[in-house]
Amino acid sequence: MKKKTKATTFLMVLIMAYLLLPLVVTIVYSLFQKWTDIVPEQFSLGSYVIILQDKEFLLCIVRTLAACVIPIGITVCIILLAMFVTTVYFPSLDKYVQIICMIPYTIQGVILSVSILSAYIRAGSFLGNRLVMLFGAYSVIIMPYIYQGIKNGMSAINVKVLTEAAEMLGAARMYAFFRIIVPNILSSIVVSALLAVGIIFGDYVLVRNLTGTSFQNMQIYLYQTMKSDSTKASAVFVIIMLITCLITAVTLYLKNKEREK
Amino acid sequence: MALLPFLVVALLYEIIPLIMVIMNSFQSDAGTGITLENYQTIAEKLLYQKAIFNSIRISLISSLGGIVVAFLGAKAIAESKGKIANLFMTILNMVSNFAGVPLAFAYMVLLGNAGFMVHVGQKLGISALADFNLYTSDGMSMIYIYFQIPLATLLLVPAFAGIRKEWKEAVALLGGKEGLFWRKVGIPVLMPEILGTFSVLFANALAAYATVYALMMNNISLLPIQIAGSYVGEVKTRPGLGGALSVVMMVLMCLMILLTNRMSRHFQKGGNPS
Repeated sequence: MKKKTKATTFLMVLIMAYLLLPLVVTIVYSLFQKWTDIVPEQFSLGSYVIILQDKEFLLCIVRTLAACVIPIGITVCIILLAMFVTTVYFPSLDKYVQIICMIPYTIQGVILSVSILSAYIRAGSFLGNRLVMLFGAYSVIIMPYIYQGIKNGMSAINVKVLTEAAEMLGAARMYAFFRIIVPNILSSIVVSALLAVGIIFGDYVLVRNLTGTSFQNMQIYLYQTMKSDSTKASAVFVIIMLITCLITAVTLYLKNKEREK
Repeated sequence: MALLPFLVVALLYEIIPLIMVIMNSFQSDAGTGITLENYQTIAEKLLYQKAIFNSIRISLISSLGGIVVAFLGAKAIAESKGKIANLFMTILNMVSNFAGVPLAFAYMVLLGNAGFMVHVGQKLGISALADFNLYTSDGMSMIYIYFQIPLATLLLVPAFAGIRKEWKEAVALLGGKEGLFWRKVGIPVLMPEILGTFSVLFANALAAYATVYALMMNNISLLPIQIAGSYVGEVKTRPGLGGALSVVMMVLMCLMILLTNRMSRHFQKGGNPS
């Protein structure tokens, strides 16, 4: 038995080492100026100083943030409204809402981006605006995650009883839903929104295909610097990974807290 | 009324574009009218045959590789449940968001032409490392396997909760070794989850774009690259052809889902695979 525990531990350590290797090597790479031998030389934070002073890079962070907040806000609102209708009035419609929400999961980035592009590239109105296309695409691509999150939250509480109780006390259905149900499932909404942040934050396909390079987010910035200056790119990489880890950590923390409840 | 905003967004950015792509695929890029010309081009031209073949190949290889490692990893998590297992889960969650351009860049630093491992290989005289070429389809397969492992493991971990200790004990009582247990009981019981995970991995690899594009630009023949290329092409766009390629890709995904569903039904009925 002892031998077996050692073997499983060894296996896990091995997989962890494999998964962390590219990360660790790139982090070390970003901290040294010279690495032509096995041991790197000349520790320096210079590349971080350069990019953190680069206005273009800071603008990228702001753009990425905007590209997260707006579509997630839109999707959470429209799915909540749709779920309000399906839970309170027409439960039979839920099936269709679910199907519509799950389609983006199967078609994924490439097909979604080219189909939106081909549908609206010649449209003259605001639909032809590349930024509108991008935000629309983001709103759609995160639907599966937001839908599932809200659905999970709702299945944990008894929506019907709560709504009826509120109605008996004289509240309108709409009021009951948004003032009683939504606050109760807020933590699930936050968790799914954070998952969506992770998706949009890591997106390259949609932003490249839909906007070319006109809307430079952090991924595009990394792509362009990695073609020209790999030391600078490694610092960008580390900052992107730090933000990603932060998002994951907060998501995991909230998830665990919810489970304890 | 409250359903309206949802329907508008879904229609505008999901349903209409999808219908447009399918319709485009039946329209000639040169003339007008309904035609199967685009599908014919795909079937005849070596470039597109290769793209389809390469995409299926890399998706199958990476999904298989990913699922084998994930099976061992998830099994280890289920069997240990200690601090290490917790750490392992945290790292898996962390790394599961590690894909696309950042992953491509990290592999460039690690195994690219002047990469760290290449230096190590040269210094220590390991020719497999020193001569490794990342910019080939084997190099790409390696990166694909990398991003499949965390996803696959996270999907498989919950399934192992279904393996009951009593079954292992029963097999042991009858004189069976652990290997026999997994061959005859464990793996068949887990098969529906394994197959489901496999189809998710397949779709994930088939649609992967950013990682390959960041390393290879358009110098590799894969379906997503060809699709994107025919819309955002350098010379002129070919929406008809791109549409047809997109349809091919969606059909491939659906086929894999159907196939794995069918196979897993076989296992759920308790049929014996051997």
